[in-house]
Amino acid sequence: MIKSHPSEAILYQYASGDLSASMTLVVGTHIDMCPICKRTVCEIEEGLCNKHLDSLVETICAPSKGAMSKTQCDQMLEAIFNSQAKPAAQREDLISLEGRRFNLPTTLAHNAHRIGEWTHLVGKLWRAPVALSDDGQTNLIYMEPGAQVPEHTHKGQEATLVIDGVFNDEHDAYYDGDFILLDADRKHTPRTATEDCLTLATLDAPLFFTSGISRLLNPFSSLFFR
Amino acid sequence: MQTVTSHTSQRGVMTTSQQDTAEKAAQLLAQIAETRSRQAFSELFSHFAPKLQAYGTRQFGNEQTAMDLVQETMTNVWHKAHLFKADKGSPSTWIFTIARNIRFDLLRKNKKRKDDISADELWPILAEQNDNLDDDYALDQDILLQEISHYYGQLPDAQRIVVEKIYVEGKSQQEVSDSLGIPLGTVKSRTRLALKKLKELIVEHD
Repeated sequence: MIKSHPSEAILYQYASGDLSASMTLVVGTHIDMCPICKRTVCEIEEGLCNKHLDSLVETICAPSKGAMSKTQCDQMLEAIFNSQAKPAAQREDLISLEGRRFNLPTTLAHNAHRIGEWTHLVGKLWRAPVALSDDGQTNLIYMEPGAQVPEHTHKGQEATLVIDGVFNDEHDAYYDGDFILLDADRKHTPRTATEDCLTLATLDAPLFFTSGISRLLNPFSSLFFR
Repeated sequence: MQTVTSHTSQRGVMTTSQQDTAEKAAQLLAQIAETRSRQAFSELFSHFAPKLQAYGTRQFGNEQTAMDLVQETMTNVWHKAHLFKADKGSPSTWIFTIARNIRFDLLRKNKKRKDDISADELWPILAEQNDNLDDDYALDQDILLQEISHYYGQLPDAQRIVVEKIYVEGKSQQEVSDSLGIPLGTVKSRTRLALKKLKELIVEHD
């Protein structure tokens, strides 16, 4: 049972198309996994449609100022009938990592071609960048059993979605489908115990590690988490 | 689970004319999908194009971009009518989500980004096969390769010791200089060389 969801405000922005590409990917992947948020988004979309399209009484028969002329309509129809269908979207449903394989939720599956090579970070952590040509930095992060992401803070927001497995931090335990949004400067130390964990994470500024050996990572955090 | 009735009551009761319109639009979409009927499409077009145009004009404040939104949205409707599922929602909501995606792309196109992500990748509403019925995303339990924290084990001893003292033990460069009895400048240069070497090792491994 998923217990950690995006706020209704985030779902609204998602449905309106007003989130960044990286946040849309993370929220959309959560929605693939979460029937509750999927239903909420459907309702929001109905509401938006009502507001933006249905409530409008305008028709071709009663055109308002600036409306399309009959000629414009005919030209556009002609162009549409002569257009080619876009090729079907590509998707890859599987991702492998050194002997471990995961099924990808629909939205992520459509972005599988943007997932880069896996890199081993220190310890039991792996990451693969998701290239979105966006302002955020988006990565798949894989934690082996018994892994720990060193305590860190970040300047911007960090959104994390559990694709599979479980991890803990100081606050809670997070399972498949849980969506976690952390604000700037909140310290946390994600770790796995006996299970491994695959997450999708996006952040808008590099991590800053705050304690122990992990400080060694700071000179490279841009290398790791870009 | 909520019933259909409670859905509509949340959004205000659908008027009879809206229901009629929705049924009519669903029929037209089915006709387009089955027979590629240009006449059915033209009818659907004359209903939705002005609404989409008004939406686009409000969103972009630009007549030409609004017209692009109408054309691209309705082009998708023409080619993808078979993907409309009447049990999943109303025709106008389906068309709205297509327009929402086109709007997203048009807004980003104006920012001129290369290899940009498209809305169809982010909201794959027009994908032929959209359901991943499997709700368990892990396929097997194989264990990964052993952990490789050996990066810094590969450093020359002199550099590794300095790095350990600074980053593991948390000493300052001056303290390291004092405890090892080497000049501060040497500590600094060893640290710098060690970090450079580590970066190379990591990139090589990449």
